[in-house]
Amino acid sequence: MAPIRVLMAKPGLDGHDRGAKVVSRALRDAGMEVIYTGLRQSPDQIVQAAIQEDVDFVGLSCLSGAHNSLFPKVVELLKERGAGEIAVFGGGVIPEADIPGLRAAGIEAVFTPGTSLEEIVSFIRERVKKDHA
Amino acid sequence: MPSSWQRQLAKAISKIENMDPQALSEAASLPLDNSSVQIIGVTGPPGGGKSTLCSQLIQALAAEHKVAALLVDPSSPFSGGAILGDRIRMQALVSNPNVYIRSLSNRGNAGGVGSSVVSILREVMSYSFDYILIETVGAGQSEVKIASIADTTLVVSVPNLGDDIQAVKSGILEIADIFVINKADLPGVDSLYTALRESAQKQVDGWTAPLCQTVALEGLGIDALLVEIDKHWQWLQQSGRLLEKRKFAAKFEIMELSRVLLQKHLDKVPAEVLARNLNRKDINLLQRLDEVYAEILNLFGEV
Repeated sequence: MAPIRVLMAKPGLDGHDRGAKVVSRALRDAGMEVIYTGLRQSPDQIVQAAIQEDVDFVGLSCLSGAHNSLFPKVVELLKERGAGEIAVFGGGVIPEADIPGLRAAGIEAVFTPGTSLEEIVSFIRERVKKDHA
Repeated sequence: MPSSWQRQLAKAISKIENMDPQALSEAASLPLDNSSVQIIGVTGPPGGGKSTLCSQLIQALAAEHKVAALLVDPSSPFSGGAILGDRIRMQALVSNPNVYIRSLSNRGNAGGVGSSVVSILREVMSYSFDYILIETVGAGQSEVKIASIADTTLVVSVPNLGDDIQAVKSGILEIADIFVINKADLPGVDSLYTALRESAQKQVDGWTAPLCQTVALEGLGIDALLVEIDKHWQWLQQSGRLLEKRKFAAKFEIMELSRVLLQKHLDKVPAEVLARNLNRKDINLLQRLDEVYAEILNLFGEV
């Protein structure tokens, strides 16, 4: 079976990539191929990388507070460039109150501090199953 | 918009990588003798600065040319997953419409690249690039497969990885078309230079591998390296070696793909024999495997 490919990216200007790296490692340990792109990525760079890498998922991590503008922008650009089937999820310090808005903008899951790694892995696996069903 | 052809290429690469039989046979129908594209292999130890060096080379080449980069990182021996992180040093190039970058897992293969890499190359070549860079996994001493694939192989060394006997051992140093001493601003560069010079001065088939020094992080020595890469390219074409190299790559492709298919069969047979015997009460696998071994030998026959 083909491994699931996930692009992990940090949009925006904060320099805290611990969380993104821990999640990347957990996804690797779950047998996925994780393309790690590092800090300070613009939505344009993230989307172009996701297309070049032919990923199934884009995982966004943001701790700067700019998630409300950056996350939806990624979804929008993916759609614009004909890659709307790539699922986007996000995480970071995100207030509960922002989550419904992000979900409505097409971010399929939002993981806040305290989320277990299993939860993220199983979100991805379930989503893939749904896709193949 | 570069997105649409990049997307098409990306999807094709995935299918080949996943050994989709139809994609493999479609790729096999694409030519490998295109002499308007130079395939540059970059290998060397982990942390030697391969990605940073590739990033500099791509940036310089992409000013006037169309460049593709295939970046190989190792897969986990436990989960089969991978963290592919070579892109980190290249994100500045991602929006350049002349550049296509793709990260690949070696999918458990020894030797520095995956089994389907030549088939992937055929596919990438059909998109009229001028240069294709392949960065191998961090290589030790025997990851030499890249030399069977690339037209021009760069072996990257860095100072202070060992004494000078490391430089006369066999293996990776023998495959260099061009030696690159990266991080050449570090102490120890002189003794590495002296040690490598002897390997470098040896002429093979009329080509003497030059020895370049770079500080990739600061972009130093890149122009001189590009001159050597071009010289090697001219030599390959004038000497007729280019097509020989490509034939080598095609042979490598057939051997690798056959090996993968055979391996799948091989994995199956002993596993089945073992499973069958594990259920027998009269055999102690921890002490006596002769019957199992004989059965496997019997099934495979002698080679």
